[in-house]
Amino acid sequence: MLKHWFWNLMSAAVIIWYSTITVYVAFKGWKDIKTMLGNLAKLKDE
Amino acid sequence: MTHFSWLVDGSIIGLYLLVTMVAGVMVRKYVGKVEHFLVAGREMNVYLGIASLAATEFGVVTCMYTAQNGYRYGFSGAVPGLLQAIAMFIIGVTGFCIKPLRDSGVMTIPELFEKKFGPKIRWAAGVVIVLGGLLNMGVFLRTGGEFLVQVTGLNVRYLEITMTALLLMVAVYTILGGMLSVLITDFLQFVVMSGGLIVVTILIIGKVGWGTILKAVETHHGAGGFNPFVNPELGWQFVLFNLMLNTAAVLTWQTTIVRVLSAKDTKTGLKVYKGTAFFFVCRFLIPGIWGMAALAALTASQVGPNTLHAMPLLLSQLLPVGIMGLLVAAMLAADMSTDSSYMITWAGVIYNDIIAPFRKKIWSEKKGLLWNRMTVALIGVFLLVFGLWYPLKGDLWTYLGVTGTIYLSSMSALLIACTYWKRANNWGAAAAIAFGAVIPVTFLILEQLPATAELAKRIGPYYSGIATYLIVGAAMIIGSLLKPQPKAPALEGGAHA
Repeated sequence: MLKHWFWNLMSAAVIIWYSTITVYVAFKGWKDIKTMLGNLAKLKDE
Repeated sequence: MTHFSWLVDGSIIGLYLLVTMVAGVMVRKYVGKVEHFLVAGREMNVYLGIASLAATEFGVVTCMYTAQNGYRYGFSGAVPGLLQAIAMFIIGVTGFCIKPLRDSGVMTIPELFEKKFGPKIRWAAGVVIVLGGLLNMGVFLRTGGEFLVQVTGLNVRYLEITMTALLLMVAVYTILGGMLSVLITDFLQFVVMSGGLIVVTILIIGKVGWGTILKAVETHHGAGGFNPFVNPELGWQFVLFNLMLNTAAVLTWQTTIVRVLSAKDTKTGLKVYKGTAFFFVCRFLIPGIWGMAALAALTASQVGPNTLHAMPLLLSQLLPVGIMGLLVAAMLAADMSTDSSYMITWAGVIYNDIIAPFRKKIWSEKKGLLWNRMTVALIGVFLLVFGLWYPLKGDLWTYLGVTGTIYLSSMSALLIACTYWKRANNWGAAAAIAFGAVIPVTFLILEQLPATAELAKRIGPYYSGIATYLIVGAAMIIGSLLKPQPKAPALEGGAHA
């Protein structure tokens, strides 16, 4: 297993990074949507 | 025998589709101008951009081919993902090409070309982008349908009607809400897709075993399963071709670049690139692991001659009820986000760069929106006729590679020259577009003709691809240098301060 350290490390990094970023982007992206729609609504009112 | 349950898994999928449709249709009220429709009013922020870019660039077709790469080449098959991630991160950090592109305030790449090369090159670039893009996209629907048939055990007779219904749903929200609907639904689809991909990967590793997967790769592919340079089917030419292809895709693939153009400012666009870069490793490695697990768990006779079906076959046997619904919802999310994004993007180029030169006067926002919506609808019809009801003949991978290279080789050369080379002009641009189209198509013809098939096989797709990028670059340089330089205007009566 150790001789394939690069792909072991890369595969672990993929799963950890992807799980973390999914949760993080889910929260932050939701805020981005609210801001974006708020700005567009303001522009429409003007 | 699949573990798909129409009651449990079907309910999960139905709920996902309902939420997506409601969200996609609800935002239509914010669309008042063409700019809202095509680039979401340039109000997209970083995290929404990351979610949208990731969701768009992962479709069922991606999952199928990257899994096939894992099955056929082991970890070496995931190298294109590493190369794309490196290219995207470096471009995101340096702003190479994309910074001047976003700073210019254009909505499409050909619009930028007009400033440097004139309206004819803008139009020609628009045609190449749309042709390459639509032909590439034309096969997505059927491949997605084949995955669903394999995994759910759906009767193949219902494939066309199921995918037609799915496309209709995507078309409805894309036509009504344009890029705004695409962004909102992409966000939901990113969450569902990512959740599904992570859960299924952990489950597969748990059931098959990481050690078993590594051993299977070692047994079937030896050192070539871990290092593409020593793999007899890949080699340095595979790595170099993919480096060129993926760098060009990061720079000019319209569905990728539209995220930079929709960003609220240049800095946000660059952050989206930096933040999404590592996703491209996941995009290749996660389905690659599924493919390698299929190599470990299934026999060659179970898989049959088409290795594309190895991964869905494994999933249909391995996943329990409930997780199967999550997987199908995730794959539908992946497919819908890709389809909607591609439809709006190519429609944007058709409207902005192909139809625009024929307009006698500036159109009202209302008329512009109507034309954009009609174009999206027409692309939907094309997808149905070409991708679903018209059976594609020949090798799908060659087809995707050829259509992609026709577009990417010339557009990347034009973009680099347009942004960084003062001497670049329309002669060079025209030569680059011509060579970019002729070489890949010639290679495809050589492959099809019995008399030249052996020669094409000896050349191979990687050498042919590398040659295309090099020759297109040379054509851009030589063509530009051949055009006589305009003479400097003569000063009357000597020089005056």
